Amino acid sequence: MNAIEVKDITKSFRIYPDKGSQLKEKLLFRKRNRHEVRQVLKGISFTVEKGCSLGLIGHNGCGKSTTLKLLTKIIYPDSGEIKINGRVSSLLELGAGFHPDMTGRENIYTNASIFGLTKKETDARIRDIIDFSELGEFIDDPVRTYSSGMYMRLAFAVAINVDADILLIDEILAVGDANFQTKCFDRLRELKAEGTSMILVTHDLSSVEKFCDRAIWLNDGVICREGKAAEVVDAYYSFMNRRKAENSAPVPAVEEAPPAEETSPAPADDADEMDYSANRFGMRYIEITSVCMRDASGKDTRIFTTGDSLSIEINYKVNRPLDEYVFGFGFYTIEGACLYGNNTQLDRLKISPGTDTGTVAVDIPHLPLLAGKYALNAAIVDKDGTPMDFYRKYCSFEVVSDDRSEGYISIDHKWRTIR
Amino acid sequence: MNTLKEIFSYRQMISSLVRRDLRGRYKGSFLGFLWTFINPLLQLLVYTAVFSLILRTNIERYYLYLFVGLIPWIFFSSSLTGGAASVVAQKDLIKKIYFPRQVIPISYVTSCFINMLLSFIAVFAVMIVSGAGIYFPGLVCLPVIMAAEYLLALGAALLTSAVTVYFRDLEHILGIFSMAWMYMTPIMYDRSIVPQRLMPVFRLNPMTHVIECYRAVLYYKCMPDMKGLLSAAGLGIVFLVAGHFVFLKLQKRFAEEL
Repeated sequence: MNAIEVKDITKSFRIYPDKGSQLKEKLLFRKRNRHEVRQVLKGISFTVEKGCSLGLIGHNGCGKSTTLKLLTKIIYPDSGEIKINGRVSSLLELGAGFHPDMTGRENIYTNASIFGLTKKETDARIRDIIDFSELGEFIDDPVRTYSSGMYMRLAFAVAINVDADILLIDEILAVGDANFQTKCFDRLRELKAEGTSMILVTHDLSSVEKFCDRAIWLNDGVICREGKAAEVVDAYYSFMNRRKAENSAPVPAVEEAPPAEETSPAPADDADEMDYSANRFGMRYIEITSVCMRDASGKDTRIFTTGDSLSIEINYKVNRPLDEYVFGFGFYTIEGACLYGNNTQLDRLKISPGTDTGTVAVDIPHLPLLAGKYALNAAIVDKDGTPMDFYRKYCSFEVVSDDRSEGYISIDHKWRTIR
Repeated sequence: MNTLKEIFSYRQMISSLVRRDLRGRYKGSFLGFLWTFINPLLQLLVYTAVFSLILRTNIERYYLYLFVGLIPWIFFSSSLTGGAASVVAQKDLIKKIYFPRQVIPISYVTSCFINMLLSFIAVFAVMIVSGAGIYFPGLVCLPVIMAAEYLLALGAALLTSAVTVYFRDLEHILGIFSMAWMYMTPIMYDRSIVPQRLMPVFRLNPMTHVIECYRAVLYYKCMPDMKGLLSAAGLGIVFLVAGHFVFLKLQKRFAEEL
């Protein structure tokens, strides 16, 4: 049997640029009441079987929350049909209807009555609710004296104990501390095992994968993909990565690293006088004019994909020629930990540039960094290691990835069973 | 029919909202719940002062004459004006969870109704203390009269609460409208002084019948005019059905408009 059947629903909202609902405004500014119609859902159909859990994913504004609101009947669809078999409890807005002056116990009764429970039905559950909320003796204090965590625990405890046939959940992970969250998830699993159907809306893809049997990816009011949770999540994940990379505009390096004359401290004449803690320091016999990072297609960007190629080009200008320079680069975490650093000297490469300007590039065929934000260091030193021009955090860049491992570095691996 | 069944299944919510409203109404005030009695008594004092000292009516025991009409009127007018604001006032609830929206005006009117019942304790006290006495056979009719008025008040509240969501001025318009309505209802005066050409208006006014029924039972100590009682009840049902359908139609977009 299907717990939820949704057939071809559409929903538009009227957007008033300047809404007037007073008589004066209605008469005087009739033109202002012209509204735009924004179609949020453009024909969505799906079913949820009894005891099945469904995850709704998609970027902001794709219609997830609207769908949930339609299912709770807070709003009504413009067309289409929604069939729901059983009692619905929603964890959309926890604690709506709590009265601050009433005690926790009184609020349990009120809140349960909002879910359609009679007093007798609530009496039968009150023990479970209080136990679950872990409020203990505080249950007879007015709700206004509760901390926000206690408030949420009580609200969650009520919503989850009303014996709903269908639970609608919007971003539940914001409830309480880690222990309570675990408890919530355990309880949800129990309920699921008992045959409660669930719809979960969240941005936390891993909880969709862990918790849901099926998932629907909504995009711009239509179903983009529907299927097993893991498959849909993977498809959504790589779509988001692609989009992020495509949308990134090439970043002109000058913006992040302004010309030396303007903001950096004056070049030091003597190595002893150098301020090594500065963002940029060095003797400036040779100077980094700009650094550019190119992705596999040669575009100057700040977003890269794990496993693709990356080139770093260091453009320099010679002020006072020396016979040898060492070029280096380093990848750092945003917190400042070094992930990798190397230079031409370590690689036993001798670079003796001329007396003018030029570029030294380093090519990384397969970028091993995992998804995240990183900082790039670029430096030129002389052969004894005296800094000529040392740039800490020249710029930050982002890596997107289909590899969802933990940490910073993607390591090639394969699992096998031995016995 | 389904709607009625659903509203019935939410009776617990109605009763907890009513309780919350009654308990919360005078919360924090020094005299607290006593205000339920003090407020109408003070109003009575003002009107009696005006009408027996300045405007001088020749109605016997004018304070009682006024009191038995004023208490039911206060119930009706507060259902009308306060009921109009009730849905807007609960917008947080409406935007967040589902329940039959009718629950809100129903609870509001019910809490006003209970307030009226409590005020009637003051009415009976005045009747006994003043020596006017109680006419017991008439009391049998009292629940019927009250039920008719409840239907009227609920119909009005359903209508105004739903329209106010889309048209917020209504709340303020209703303030003046209910004042005018009060003067167009024979509460402070007798219908015998109403000019003949205005009589049709008074006859169409459902509250005329309601107030006169109350007065017959509690002041004149006689059975109410059956025709008046029936037309009050009939109009009450018409109000309720009309209010119900308007509410049903308008409530679909409550969450979006609030």
